[in-house]
Amino acid sequence: MVRNMKTRKLETKDFIWIGLIGILAALPLVPGLIGNSFRAHVLILILLYASMAQSWNIVSGYAGQVSFGHSVFFGIGAYGAGMAVVTYGLTPWPGLLAGAVLAALVSLLISYPCFKLKGHYFAIATFAIVEIFNRLFMVWDWVGGALGLDYPILPDGWKNFVWSETKVGFYYGALGLFILIFGVVRWIETHRLGYYLRAVREGQETAESLGVNSSAVKLSAMAFSAFLAALCGGFFVQYNYRVDPPMVMSLDMSMKFVLITILGGVGNFWGPLLGAAILVPLQEYSRAYLTSLGSGVDLIIFGIIIMLMMIRQPKGIMGILQDLGIKTGQRKPEREEN
Amino acid sequence: MQKRKFLSFVSLLVFVLLLSAGSALAAENVLKLGVLFPLTGPCATAGQRCVAAVETAAEVINNKHPELDVPLAKQEGILKGMKIQLVVADTQGKPDVAKSEAERLLNQEGVYAIIGSYNSSASKPASAVTERAKKLFMCGCSSSAALTERDFKYFFRLAPTDKTESKEFVEYIEWLNKNQKAGIKTIGLIYENTEFGKHAADEGKAAAKAAGFEVVADVAFNPGATNLNSEVQTLKAKNPDAVFGACLGGDYTLWVRTMKQMNWLPKVALNYCTGYQDPKIAQQLAADGNFFMGGTGYSPEIGAKYMKKVAAVEKIYSKKVGVPFDSDSIQEAVALFILAQAIEKAGTLDVDKVAEVIRTTTFDSPLSLGGKVAFGPGGQNMKATSIITQLHDGKYVPVYPPSYAETKATVPMTPWDKR
Repeated sequence: MVRNMKTRKLETKDFIWIGLIGILAALPLVPGLIGNSFRAHVLILILLYASMAQSWNIVSGYAGQVSFGHSVFFGIGAYGAGMAVVTYGLTPWPGLLAGAVLAALVSLLISYPCFKLKGHYFAIATFAIVEIFNRLFMVWDWVGGALGLDYPILPDGWKNFVWSETKVGFYYGALGLFILIFGVVRWIETHRLGYYLRAVREGQETAESLGVNSSAVKLSAMAFSAFLAALCGGFFVQYNYRVDPPMVMSLDMSMKFVLITILGGVGNFWGPLLGAAILVPLQEYSRAYLTSLGSGVDLIIFGIIIMLMMIRQPKGIMGILQDLGIKTGQRKPEREEN
Repeated sequence: MQKRKFLSFVSLLVFVLLLSAGSALAAENVLKLGVLFPLTGPCATAGQRCVAAVETAAEVINNKHPELDVPLAKQEGILKGMKIQLVVADTQGKPDVAKSEAERLLNQEGVYAIIGSYNSSASKPASAVTERAKKLFMCGCSSSAALTERDFKYFFRLAPTDKTESKEFVEYIEWLNKNQKAGIKTIGLIYENTEFGKHAADEGKAAAKAAGFEVVADVAFNPGATNLNSEVQTLKAKNPDAVFGACLGGDYTLWVRTMKQMNWLPKVALNYCTGYQDPKIAQQLAADGNFFMGGTGYSPEIGAKYMKKVAAVEKIYSKKVGVPFDSDSIQEAVALFILAQAIEKAGTLDVDKVAEVIRTTTFDSPLSLGGKVAFGPGGQNMKATSIITQLHDGKYVPVYPPSYAETKATVPMTPWDKR
């Protein structure tokens, strides 16, 4: 199996993936498609939320450890970039890296005791962690407390990673993040770690009996996942010129990680992208165009659609596609492969 | 049958297309303005009232209202007949949503300026968008002083800031000590842990310390709390003579009721304008609200005495929301009146020229306490005034400054067991 992985040939999924990147990279060349439009904003959010959901998918989809605490790592990344710019007057880049590394370290510290819990208990523990970090950051003056951090007006460009005239820079930034995170997950999926993760998900005791160090596997997945979620947080703060605890370290934000992946299909490479591609436009366009109907109508319609989706097919959009007989690239269970 | 269905569908489609073509033709001489407020979420009621206030101002400006004695009421539209068209958007009270909706309003809807956004934390990123795009942002009631400390060129705020209110609170306490022998030496703070609450509390603390008062309690709580027992217990233990509160809506009601439950009151309780000055709060608290005080920019009682021209405009507003103006909503109506007057005076829609008029003109503003609006550095309305009122049976009765006072404030507040 290992030799086979080292000499792995490109699969159909890889070709689709490469083709998709090519199309996405070429989109700004279509006149009037990106610019500074609302359409560009929606595309950027699709790429960002797909990336966030994919980072969550590593630990919760592939490794089966359902986490509601990813907004903590996302928030640490956001504060890394935000503090570099607002508190220290630097470019966001060193803060982005520092935030991501710190998020990975924090994830290890949190996960080590939490992974001793199983199933629902682990999920509940991660809920509590979000609240702890939210309260901590709300009263911690060094990070801006409840006032948050507001960006000054900075010159546009890659150095400061802000643009106001056009969204093309943000679009390529989001695309870069998307390629990185989906690329990492594709790599994990086809290498030893991916097999170990799925083995732990399917049966921890069985995996351990076959020599898999389940603790190390889960911790590595969490560290990867937190690092990548933090990079998304860094992008989010740059895009919004502001960060405060309710924006990034909240159950609301954690639910975005979860909901998008569940909607698209958990533990599936394409699931997060499909979930984001449905959920983000639904959320953004319903808010933009149904607000005039009255308070909350957009949210009611949005909620009903999500409920119908979940009732109709709990496996998400990937499940619907499978029902329709469309090949989704879902890998077969391990025992069948071997 | 199928054919008939198809024909009906085509007819409907043509009808809709004609309607949209008609509205496009009619829409030629309009000025689109973005109205960006929290229409859902915890501040939805306040946001909806703010939208209604802006709509009221637009209605007055767009149509001839000879019966109203406010600027632009006697003519139709601005710049010789141009009508104002409002495009309403929802921030949900979230900064990131406020920012993306501001971008959509500018780039997609093509609005000329934005009025908003109630929450200071939402006004900040939304106005950063307009500033970058060199478009105007008229802010009615967001109170964080930081908003007008950014040196923005296209941002203008009507309401007094929490900094000016804090100074007024301290000034009033000094006045009470001198004139009513109130004996106030210590101050406590209770505030929601948000941009608004934290900023107000920091300003209150700084003003109190600068005047030589001892700050003995600093209590933050999460907005929307269901229980404030431990927070009020902390206040009770420290027993400050006066408490400055930055509590909104339901939190304010809960705070007062928890104090009643614990049978404790400071000598003076002053709340920042936003929150305390909500007509629904006065109704909900009824007699329990008696003797609580706070900053007030407008109430029907104040209007009847000092802003007599408001009443007729208020009738239009009340039909929309069923309550009279409050300090926040009225500022949003003023924001549109000032913008429209500036455009009319500039005689052009050139943003820089209109901004220059806003910066350099003292505007007549019958809907503002004091009747004038003039902007200083950072875009802050230097004529913004709020007076201190005390609740007496659901009415906001002015008690300070002396020139506005209608009664001597009940200080110390009557204890719960003696009411």
